[in-house]
Amino acid sequence: MSLMNYKHITLSLLGTLLLTSCLDENPRDQLPQEEAYDTAKNLYLNSVATLYNYIGGNADGQGLQGTVRGVYDLNTFTTDEAILPTRGGDWYDGGLWQGLYLHQWTDEDAPLKDTWNYLYKVIVLCNQSLNRLNTYSSLLTVAQLEQYQAEVRAIRAMYYYYLLDLFARVPIVDNDRVSLKDVKQSSRSQVFRFVVNELQAVEPLLMPERSNLEGACYGRLTRPVAWFLLCKLALNAEVYADDNWTDGNCPQGTSITFTVDGKPLNAWQACITYADKLSAFGYQLEDSYASNFAVHNENSAENIFTIPMDKMLYANQFCYLFRSRHYNHGSAIGMDAENGTSATCSAVLTYGYGTGNVDSRYAVNFYSDTLFVDGNVVYLDNGEPLVYRPLEVQLDLTGTTYEKTAGARMAKYEIDRTAHADGKLQENDIVLFRYADVVLMKAEALMRLGEDGSALFNTVRQRSGMPERELNEQTLLDERLMELQWEGWRRQDLIRFDRFHRAYDQRTPSSGESSRYTTVFPIPGSALDLNNNLTQNWGYE
Amino acid sequence: MKKGYRIPLIATLMGLSCHIGSAQAQVSELRDTSLVQYVEVQRSIATGSVDKVTEERMNKGLVTNSLNALSGQAAGVNVASSGENRMAMLNSVRVRGTTSLTGGNDPLVIIDGVSSDLATLSTIYPADIESFNILKNAAETAQYGSRGASGVIEVVTKKGKSGQFHISYDGNMGFERIYKNMQMLSRQGYVSTARQMGLTYNDGGFDTDFPETITRTGFVQNHHVAFSGGTDQSNYRASIGFMDHNTVIRVQENDNFIAKLDLAQKAFDDLLNIDLGVFGSSQKNHYIFDDWKLFYSAASQNPTYPNGMNTSGGWDKNSTASQINNPLALLYEKEHEKALNFNTHIGLTFNLPYDLRLKFFGSYSFNSTENDEYLPTWVWAQGQAYRAEKKTEDWLGNVSLGWQRTSGSHHVELLALSEYQSNQRKGFYTTVKGFNTNNFGYDNLMAGSTRPYGGTGSYYEKPTLASVMGSAKYILLDRYALTVNARADGSSMVGENNRWGFFPSVSAEWNVIKESWMQRSQAARNGVLTSLKLRSGYGTSGNLGGIDSYNSLLSVMPNGVVSYGGSPTVTLGISRNANPDLKWETRSTLNVGADMGFWKDRLVMTAEYYYSKTRDMLYLYDVSVPPFAYEKLLANLGSMSNQGFEVGLGITPIETKDMQLNINVNLSLQKNKLIKLSGNYNGQYMTASDITAIGGLNGAGFHGGNNNIVYQIIGQPLGVFYLPHCTGLMQNTDGSYRYAIEDIDRNGTVNIEDGGDRYIAGQATPKTTLGSNISFRYKAFDVTLQMNGAFGHKIYNGTSLSYMNMASFPDYNVLADAPAQNIQDQTATDYWLENGNYLNFDYLTVGWNVPVLSRHISSLRLSCSINNLGTITAYSGLTPMINSYVVSNTLGIDDKRSYPAYRSYSLGVSISF
Repeated sequence: MSLMNYKHITLSLLGTLLLTSCLDENPRDQLPQEEAYDTAKNLYLNSVATLYNYIGGNADGQGLQGTVRGVYDLNTFTTDEAILPTRGGDWYDGGLWQGLYLHQWTDEDAPLKDTWNYLYKVIVLCNQSLNRLNTYSSLLTVAQLEQYQAEVRAIRAMYYYYLLDLFARVPIVDNDRVSLKDVKQSSRSQVFRFVVNELQAVEPLLMPERSNLEGACYGRLTRPVAWFLLCKLALNAEVYADDNWTDGNCPQGTSITFTVDGKPLNAWQACITYADKLSAFGYQLEDSYASNFAVHNENSAENIFTIPMDKMLYANQFCYLFRSRHYNHGSAIGMDAENGTSATCSAVLTYGYGTGNVDSRYAVNFYSDTLFVDGNVVYLDNGEPLVYRPLEVQLDLTGTTYEKTAGARMAKYEIDRTAHADGKLQENDIVLFRYADVVLMKAEALMRLGEDGSALFNTVRQRSGMPERELNEQTLLDERLMELQWEGWRRQDLIRFDRFHRAYDQRTPSSGESSRYTTVFPIPGSALDLNNNLTQNWGYE
Repeated sequence: MKKGYRIPLIATLMGLSCHIGSAQAQVSELRDTSLVQYVEVQRSIATGSVDKVTEERMNKGLVTNSLNALSGQAAGVNVASSGENRMAMLNSVRVRGTTSLTGGNDPLVIIDGVSSDLATLSTIYPADIESFNILKNAAETAQYGSRGASGVIEVVTKKGKSGQFHISYDGNMGFERIYKNMQMLSRQGYVSTARQMGLTYNDGGFDTDFPETITRTGFVQNHHVAFSGGTDQSNYRASIGFMDHNTVIRVQENDNFIAKLDLAQKAFDDLLNIDLGVFGSSQKNHYIFDDWKLFYSAASQNPTYPNGMNTSGGWDKNSTASQINNPLALLYEKEHEKALNFNTHIGLTFNLPYDLRLKFFGSYSFNSTENDEYLPTWVWAQGQAYRAEKKTEDWLGNVSLGWQRTSGSHHVELLALSEYQSNQRKGFYTTVKGFNTNNFGYDNLMAGSTRPYGGTGSYYEKPTLASVMGSAKYILLDRYALTVNARADGSSMVGENNRWGFFPSVSAEWNVIKESWMQRSQAARNGVLTSLKLRSGYGTSGNLGGIDSYNSLLSVMPNGVVSYGGSPTVTLGISRNANPDLKWETRSTLNVGADMGFWKDRLVMTAEYYYSKTRDMLYLYDVSVPPFAYEKLLANLGSMSNQGFEVGLGITPIETKDMQLNINVNLSLQKNKLIKLSGNYNGQYMTASDITAIGGLNGAGFHGGNNNIVYQIIGQPLGVFYLPHCTGLMQNTDGSYRYAIEDIDRNGTVNIEDGGDRYIAGQATPKTTLGSNISFRYKAFDVTLQMNGAFGHKIYNGTSLSYMNMASFPDYNVLADAPAQNIQDQTATDYWLENGNYLNFDYLTVGWNVPVLSRHISSLRLSCSINNLGTITAYSGLTPMINSYVVSNTLGIDDKRSYPAYRSYSLGVSISF
């Protein structure tokens, strides 16, 4: 009996020893990390280039532009530029879009959580890449290491720029050894300074190449892209350096200092300096406004930073045309449609819609009135022509005569008839940063300095064949609306001009909004739940 | 003859111990409670409860796959294939409910000792199955260690017998007719309602009942031939079968061809027994690409459009109805599958001196599945073809050494086992878009112009599992039995530091009736009490269902293409947070039970209570970003409990030479509770929200927020309805109605977001399930009626909520009685939450055992059956038999995806020579 037990135990032990060695996993369709960073090229590809896969996206909240319910929507549907009206059973979505338009968001809104998680995901991946570059630095020359690190830091700084703009008081996590207890918020001005310092530190090491051209630096964060970001940071410095945005005071741009190329400059001067660097680099306005958004817009002299699009190669999607056009409009071009996004009434009126004097960019930016596809009228099921009605749009169209057809619809990007996935996989690169914006930024900085920026300002108008205008706050905002429609800048512009919290279009602000607390989004509730160090932004506690 | 009838009869009971009181079992009852595979050599080492479903107990109606045969026959076993969703949910089997949040809830399937899965089991021809053994308690499942946490279904197939040559044919044929379908507005109602409401509508000029256009009369045929023979030294059995099923939905069909061969040989003066089995099947399935979309497209389609293409060769639909397609165009979507299975096993048993038995067992299974898909340009811009091939190979080998000895009043059994298992899974797939013609389908991929990156790929993984096990059983005086079982499992998928899990169990049994004081008691002496047995067990088992290969490794894989040096280049990246500390999810179960027999076992009763707790529950927990890159981390943290009470009752009120009536009832009460989903894990606080939506409404005119219905909520059973409360219908100024919603928290505003004005309105899983079988025999005729029921749960009638909403009319068609009610609201409230109780008459079979006509025919049986006779329920939708068991996004929600209700009528013949 006892002998048998011994025998069993021996057998068991023997079995265990024999079998344990067979339990190691040897993945074949994945690689252990060390095998992915075995040469200088692979180290670059898999720790630096890999990060560019996250600039665009194909899921809700992922990607800086092109996708839905993310950064772009938060910057667009909260403004006087665009509206996603409720159309009967369509587009109510639990009040999400109405909430964005009315500034009645809460910290539980999924787009805020998704955006926070997306932006920080890329930041943490950047930190992991920096760590990896150090670990495998023996594969690289000193120059290579510096250059690669600079590129990753620049990408990380760009993502912090978006966090700064949306959430203001965010934790700065700059390496991948940080544990949860050390993840603590910084003030908005600290985050602002961090982003500026990072970009200034790495800018000289970045490739002095154009990023939008197909070639060695296509889609990469090159030196001009960093200049563009610095230009934006300087122009918005009064907002970003303001640690308490509900007290009615903010620092003056003339007293916010930047050191550029060793020289101390105020915010407006810094903005002008970076704008001048971009001009000197060779960026210029294209003769045709529309060509920047053509199916093949890779050779634009104006585009600075784009999301490369190619239906065969990249998973990045551009959902906005699909989301906007009417169903029958979709059928007419052989694609599906969601009949959603429209321009606001105030936006189309800014172009002079309905007057004899309509801005030429109106026809580029919108589908409006009777719709023609390939020269033919598009008909509704009932045999009547499809007519988009720009001035009939309102927040809730349910039950109205033009429930399904109210609103001017998004155009701007040339329709790629070879596109897949209902046009979402188009060939047109998505334009993130563009030189026309730089020209307007410089004109604004000059204006804010009390200098004359109108000549510069009018170069943008002239390109579109529009007569000159006097440069003032209103004409500048109007020009930025028309020139940059559908490019995701409006929220920032309205905040900079202190208009975001006021009444506009059909929107009446809520009583508490006068404190300007809605100019910063709430820290997502999920982030607060998981990290006790974090506190909520003003007005949302 | 009479006695022969008795034993299976008693076994018919849900019973945990199946041979109570039968004459043969008197001697070694405690040693004969089950036929657990590993310990087969010893006849059984398990002391606990094994529910054995023998051939007599299997379902007799029209059975279209072997899982059908099991439905309703065992307490605590829910085969979702019993309802209308039998095609859609073929593989949904739950033993005592859901025990894990992330996976591994399917019971382990062991076919003749070979570890397998539900899909393979469903391909076996029911007539080839000798019995199902259902292992529910940890004391029994612990033998299977990590794989047994969700219960085990052991399948024993028929083998040859020594004796003369036998050949038999089994077959049946039948058809299926729909008796209940969606009643939407017809052309007349559609047009007059739109006119009345002053709405513009499209009139295609036809009158088509679209829900009907996608259906047909179904047809089923099954044929099976088996022959066997043998001597004292060797025997064989071979069988071949064919099953063919064209369902009531056009284009949906499947057929299955099966061949099976088993050989047994004794050698060297019975020193060695060799068993060899080979089983192969070839299965063809034509599925509906998206049956949900097909059903709601058919229901919502404008009834004035033609039953087919329009005159210009297109497919009409309201273009504003963006969520649907023309249902008839959808029928052209192809979703085809071809599955080939090959399984073989060999067992060598050495009967050594000193009562030792040494057994070597090895098996190999190969499965190849080909998926072919084509979406025509009518329903998918530019068309799309997809082809995939998946191959799995499983190897399993084990060595066991057993010993048993009876000496006086002592009986001892010992067993040691060592096992190694390896699975290789690999496959590839490709997606092609850009078709100018639909005529090639998926057969010539060159007809498509583009192959996007990401649409083509392949994978390979090879997880391994190693185990050692020791078991001991001791029986004293044939009355007291104690079994101890210890198993250690090591898996390659678990984190390096936690690779091995230890899964012990202990169980005891007391055969009270054999006590002399019991024998002397009044009840025993006058024959009232004929058997009484008490038993209990406790054990732990593991679950790895939530883990995939490489989950614990820091590995990288392709994450996209970027431009590098001007040319598109693939980069590698990390796509999830790695967790090197992953470990086993464990489940411990305690069970206490009793078996009783009265009046010579004319009344048999078994009862069992169990409590189980799942710990270190694998789940994708929310973690803080930053410092993590991704918002979810697969980790072991939370816990969940399941408890229940199972009762089986077998009554034989009439038992004479010519006549016999048996009534069997099994009743199962289940209660699940999600205890915890947060805490500190390696110093990192992690959580899953207290309230997480599992399923909601979508499709056909229903889109928009706050449409979540079923939730997992801490402290509640998995799958509760968490809804706003509707106080009634409220009339709008225009005469239409909307759902009035209560301000539950009385804060002055109605907020129907999670955490707002919502309350827990009931649970989605039944509290009680019932299986009942009544059989009556008169001479050579017999009648069997099977009834299954479920009680104590609710069903969300999302179908009615959607199709009663006049706000989506006339874009989407509505139910025939919707205009009268004129509700113009689609807010999900408890208004459409209904009682889910039902009793379904699963089948009625009438059989005739024809008196033997010639000396060559040993038996002939003719039978006819009606399956799904009818349902008694207060539920207002198509059928209450929706998914009420499997935790997924369809749990408890009838959301426009129910198959029309149909009956099957069939004739069967069994003949043996």
